[in-house]
Amino acid sequence: MKDFRIERDARGDVQVIRLTGSLDMYSFPRLETQINTLFQENYYAVLLDCRDLDYIGSAGLGALIGFAKQAREKGGDVKLLNVPERIFKIIELLGFTKVLQVHNTEASALASFAKG
Amino acid sequence: MVRLKKSDGKLLIQAPSHGSYLAYIRTLIGDLARQVGFPEDEVAKIEMAVDEACSNVVEHAYADPKDGIAAEKAWQWKQGDPKIRLDVRSEGNRLVIEINDHGQRFDFTAYRPNKMEEGIRQMQTGGYGMAIMREFMDEVQYSSSDAAGNTLRLVKYLKKS
Repeated sequence: MKDFRIERDARGDVQVIRLTGSLDMYSFPRLETQINTLFQENYYAVLLDCRDLDYIGSAGLGALIGFAKQAREKGGDVKLLNVPERIFKIIELLGFTKVLQVHNTEASALASFAKG
Repeated sequence: MVRLKKSDGKLLIQAPSHGSYLAYIRTLIGDLARQVGFPEDEVAKIEMAVDEACSNVVEHAYADPKDGIAAEKAWQWKQGDPKIRLDVRSEGNRLVIEINDHGQRFDFTAYRPNKMEEGIRQMQTGGYGMAIMREFMDEVQYSSSDAAGNTLRLVKYLKKS
């Protein structure tokens, strides 16, 4: 059980947020604060690196699609990178991958932002 | 403070109704589900269903009451620490998880969760918890009484592979 952590980095115009631990109803407000900060700074291309994420609940998933919706309205997106298989299976089964883009490599994720 | 009682195929947890305990509860439930033979894919579903149920207790059952009757009862949890109690046991080929609280009653029979597919398509940010519990568990039942409080019963059958 890892503590929830958020680390921010950048690849050109894309903001990369690395998430560690569990994204549940307790922790998601911290991500919400971070994403809102990015939006206030006019960064709407956001890549969430989930390699160290060990859980995501519906509060976290709901928040992610809310962020993606807001970003798309400004011409950007919020996309997921390196989603662990255990989490991917769950979000795919529930249907969240129909509206959230998931990438297995940073190169493909960054290229997808470049394409717009 | 968390109170925990473990024995073969059984687990009793009493934790404060606070989001900071959810990860710990998920871990305990996942360990027991594995121990009684559920494969990892099913363990992940059980953990998520229990997390949704406990999140609802934290977020709704012990939320500020919206009506008079609930307001009258509110002192019961405002005087003390609101608690979530989980009684988890392996019964033959199934895992039974009972999640109990003494907060506000939930109108389970009247509640119609959003269709998840439609909610996701419309990019709604919430309202998925009950639909996830129903999707991932084989039985979802709710009971409520003044003496026993509110109990959500989740059952998952161990399928032969």
